[in-house]
Amino acid sequence: MDPPSLINGGSFPSANASSYGLTEIWPFPLNGGGVGGVLGLRSNHLAGYVETRGTGIVNRDVLVDESTITEQSESRGGARRKRRDATSEDESSKLVSTSSDNDMQKNSGGKRQKVSGSGDENGDSKADVESNSGTDNKQAEQSMQPSERPKQDYIHVRARRGQATDSHSLAERARREKISERMKILQDLVPGCNKVIGKALVLDEIINYIQSLQRQVEFLSMKLEAVNSKISPSIKDFGAQTFDTTAMAFNSQAAREYVQGSPQEWLHMQVGSGFERAT
Amino acid sequence: MNSKSSPSGPCPHRAKFTRRFLRALARINKDRPTSSSHHEIRKRSRKIKIAADASMAYAVGSGRAWSRVMLWKLRNRTRYRAWIWSRVIASTRKRIDKGSKQGGELSRTDQLRQLVPGGEAMDFCNLLDEAAHYIKCLTTQVQVMRNIADFYFT
Repeated sequence: MDPPSLINGGSFPSANASSYGLTEIWPFPLNGGGVGGVLGLRSNHLAGYVETRGTGIVNRDVLVDESTITEQSESRGGARRKRRDATSEDESSKLVSTSSDNDMQKNSGGKRQKVSGSGDENGDSKADVESNSGTDNKQAEQSMQPSERPKQDYIHVRARRGQATDSHSLAERARREKISERMKILQDLVPGCNKVIGKALVLDEIINYIQSLQRQVEFLSMKLEAVNSKISPSIKDFGAQTFDTTAMAFNSQAAREYVQGSPQEWLHMQVGSGFERAT
Repeated sequence: MNSKSSPSGPCPHRAKFTRRFLRALARINKDRPTSSSHHEIRKRSRKIKIAADASMAYAVGSGRAWSRVMLWKLRNRTRYRAWIWSRVIASTRKRIDKGSKQGGELSRTDQLRQLVPGGEAMDFCNLLDEAAHYIKCLTTQVQVMRNIADFYFT
């Protein structure tokens, strides 16, 4: 049992977490709050920074404010020692809340204390600082991960082994799958397109097919124009025949019902208004 | 969504299209001028084609981008004509400028965009979707028109 290492293990996460908590909890744009947040964050950086540099700057700050800090650090140390057995994340978060409360009550003291804590630990042992900086990184990663998860849920694509997992490539993969699916639908629609391999050739087939269909429509409209003029005098025996042929042309029952009405309607229109006047 | 229906099955807009088209044909037939010059014949066949397109687009409704655009184009036909010509001229100029730099798929995609109504403003994914539906509707249109023509002819 060496007390300094234990204290370090307890105190470091709380210091870091309080620095995170300060910026979140402190909603006021007060000078003290802003400085506190900045100082807290800086203490994180200092933990890594001091590894190389030593404890020069930080310890000076500690010495200046030592008189105000000592009692607080003592009380906190006691609290930490009570809880040191259970060092789960929940416990550390509780510590965070208490420490941040203290900070809110006493602005300058709280700020200084964080710096002093990191300074003292750096003075104690470098190995501890390294391990703690490792945990710092882990904590940073943990805090980053929840923000990324919703994005991944958003796209509903799962990456297979060896595929890229960032959101852009996931979206791109989803888009490509959609395109290939639609290409397949189009291939089913266009006759003779199933044998063709390659996106460009399939597109060629599709374009040709649409062009041919549009040309057919044009041709048929010309044909209908010619035919329409020919058929119009013998409109009398038209209704029944139209009914038969169009009914044969339609497969579904609903369509047949629909068309049963239409030729008669047409007959009425033609016979009633247009052609009796003409004849 | 209409794309859910099977591609080989009958188009759900077929009956609606036939009814509308027959009515439009009757209307065209009604105000037929007595003269049968070449110009008149061309004009009438053009009218029939427009009627077929419009009735197909009406039958589909506004649920599809291509039918919406087609209806809009047909509605503002007279105003739209000048715009079309300016676009055509601009696009040919562009193509000449681009030359052979962009061959292959991009030009194919652009061709498809020009064929499907309203395809200029779509991304590739939607373009394929609309093209599939448009092909389906065009085939029904052709079938129905051929049926009517065959009936008249015999």
